[in-house]
Amino acid sequence: MAVQNYVQTIARTLMEEMRRDERVVVLGEDVGKRGGVFLATEHLYDTFGPDRVIDTPLSEAAIIGAAIGMSVYGRRPVAEIQFSDYVYPGFDQLVSQAAKLRYRSGGAFTAPMVVRMPAGGGVKGGHHHSQNPETHFIHTPGLQVVYPSTPNDAKGCLKTSIRGEDPVVFLEPKRLYRALKEDVSDDVDFMLPIGRGVLRREGDDVVLISYGASIGETLKAADALAEQGISADVIDLRWLMPWDENLVLERVAAVWRVVLVSEAPHSGNMMSEVAATIAEEVLDMLEAPPLRVSGFDTPYPYAQDRVYLPGPNRILHAVQQVLDY
Amino acid sequence: MITDAQRFQPFSDEPIRLIDEGGAWLAPFSCDLDDDTLIGLYRHMVLGRMVDERLVRLQRLGKSSFVAPSSGHEAAQVGIAGAVHVGSDWIYPYYRDTALALAVGWPLVDMLGQMMGTRADPARARQMPAHPGSRALNMFTVASPIASHVPVAVGTAIAQKLAGAGDATVCTFGDGATSEGDWHAGLNFAGAQGAPIVFVCENNRYAISVDLQHQTGSPNVAAKAHAYGMPGYLVDGMDVLASYLVMRDVMAAARDGLGPALVEMTVYRYGPHSSADDDGVYRASEEVAAWRERDPIPRYRRFLEGRKLWDDAREDELRAALKAEIDAAVKASEAAGPVPVEWMFEDVLSRPTPQLERQRERFRAARRAAGEDVEG
Ligand SMILES: Cc1ncc(C[n+]2csc(CCOP(=O)(O)OP(=O)(O)O)c2C)c(N)n1
Ligand SMILES: [Mg+2]
Repeated sequence: MAVQNYVQTIARTLMEEMRRDERVVVLGEDVGKRGGVFLATEHLYDTFGPDRVIDTPLSEAAIIGAAIGMSVYGRRPVAEIQFSDYVYPGFDQLVSQAAKLRYRSGGAFTAPMVVRMPAGGGVKGGHHHSQNPETHFIHTPGLQVVYPSTPNDAKGCLKTSIRGEDPVVFLEPKRLYRALKEDVSDDVDFMLPIGRGVLRREGDDVVLISYGASIGETLKAADALAEQGISADVIDLRWLMPWDENLVLERVAAVWRVVLVSEAPHSGNMMSEVAATIAEEVLDMLEAPPLRVSGFDTPYPYAQDRVYLPGPNRILHAVQQVLDY
Repeated sequence: MITDAQRFQPFSDEPIRLIDEGGAWLAPFSCDLDDDTLIGLYRHMVLGRMVDERLVRLQRLGKSSFVAPSSGHEAAQVGIAGAVHVGSDWIYPYYRDTALALAVGWPLVDMLGQMMGTRADPARARQMPAHPGSRALNMFTVASPIASHVPVAVGTAIAQKLAGAGDATVCTFGDGATSEGDWHAGLNFAGAQGAPIVFVCENNRYAISVDLQHQTGSPNVAAKAHAYGMPGYLVDGMDVLASYLVMRDVMAAARDGLGPALVEMTVYRYGPHSSADDDGVYRASEEVAAWRERDPIPRYRRFLEGRKLWDDAREDELRAALKAEIDAAVKASEAAGPVPVEWMFEDVLSRPTPQLERQRERFRAARRAAGEDVEG
């Protein structure tokens, strides 16, 4: 075990995977000499050189498109999009090419590749350095989407993604990059299964479900509830597509009350899907309607950077509502 | 290359320059600018530099969250600004255009308000720092995604052509921007339409850490104009007179219906890419120092001194006056105070959706329950 922060873990995991499998290549803007603007690819260029760590031109279409073409030819590309807010010039490649390749070729061509991107707010970056784009990807059949919230999860999910057979959109909560350190497995084959969430905390008054950076605020809310004598389950979904329906339904059916936390804009976000599934499957077990706490249906603001995020106060307010129902 | 007919030639191998490093006039024609214009160019360059240095300090003091240093780009930016007919032409700038925005008349207090995210920002502190924009100046609000403004600028230029008023658009960006699909889509469309637009690349040889050799296989950016059927001018962007006079000609040609042009201005950014960058990782300090030797501001000052238009006394007077203006703007911006929390919900659409109204109500209720003032 080594104590590492999130961004160090990404860089070290990439290092391990590149050592293990020479098919793995890293490409993106500033990933080489600079080691990435967040240093998520630090030391890779010095270790593996410009052929396997490619500083690309400033074109996300080129980055993602070329990653697809390399994967088709047998490479295992890990592309970096500098901020998830800048994926849109490459969105067509992800949605039209990567996501549909296996299907449209009847399985003849596949794109085992990872597109990493820092996402989420709370960094005073305004609307083009703060957004949570996961809905676009979960709504695109043919893509897998993961948004790990801790260094150790990031390692296990990144290895699974690199060694998998399909394209993965790998979202990283940038405001947690250096915010916390934890023991990270030093097993070079440490893999976390696709589509499995994790119960971060067990309680029996309310289930709080979240993922990505918002897990931090959700755990804070759970602490505050504990002080009031209210015990909360906290589920970290980790994978958004596929996502862990079994874990969610099992816990909701056991606890009967649920609050869903996501910092993406409210309408049509991941939690709309989770809430709808809960309603379809275990409505009769609920003591109160599922409540969502989300970002707002506005572009991500600059000045109100922190207020926009669903913080503990807003989570607590929703919990109070489901308890009082 | 310059001909006797005062026409600048596109696709030269060497950048067009009108004054040398010592400030001596090089061209085979005489400089036709009056003294006020010549001094005005200098004033705007110094203003850009002083504001940039202040912005860097404000960021270090925690009074601004971000800065994209523009020092080294002043000659290019002031040259571009000089060629704009403010109020009738349109400007599509990018985030590093501090000197350009100020030179076309963006009020200092608006800029400081934007940089500090206070109520002094006419854009209501919606964007991160270094994102200028002004409706009054026809200066389009900067968006962070690189090159996303290029096709938009082309649309404005096509609309100008349709209006037939003889106005033009200028659109700026960095060298990295020329790799984006939007950049190519925009130039291609402009070429096909003969739109009245001038594209200007402020080529500082780096896109954050990625140098030009990794950005493109083209010998230079201007050469790319060939493919879109427009002239491409390679200009020394650290020579304010070359920058201004080339821009004046190509903007005039665009207004006259002669179609678009691409102008590449070779510059160097003295600072890091941004306050979040560490440029020591990817470029040698000797390289930066060598470019510092070629600073566009002292170079042009030497030209003015050669014409007896400048001396130490005037320099001191100018700097003192600009410092007072900047101090006052910083003060006014700070005094304006933070923007209200609930401004976050406004201006999404011309009318809020019922969904957003409900979200706002729930937000208020949660804040009341937590004992916080809803208005922030
Ligand atoms: C679509 C997009 N991708 C990536 C970024 C991140 N980014 C911001 S500035 C920059 C480099 C731009 O370089 P250049 O165009 O040369 O302009 P300069 O900053 O050098 O003036 C990058 C990669 C972005 N803003 N937008
Ligand atoms: Mg550049």
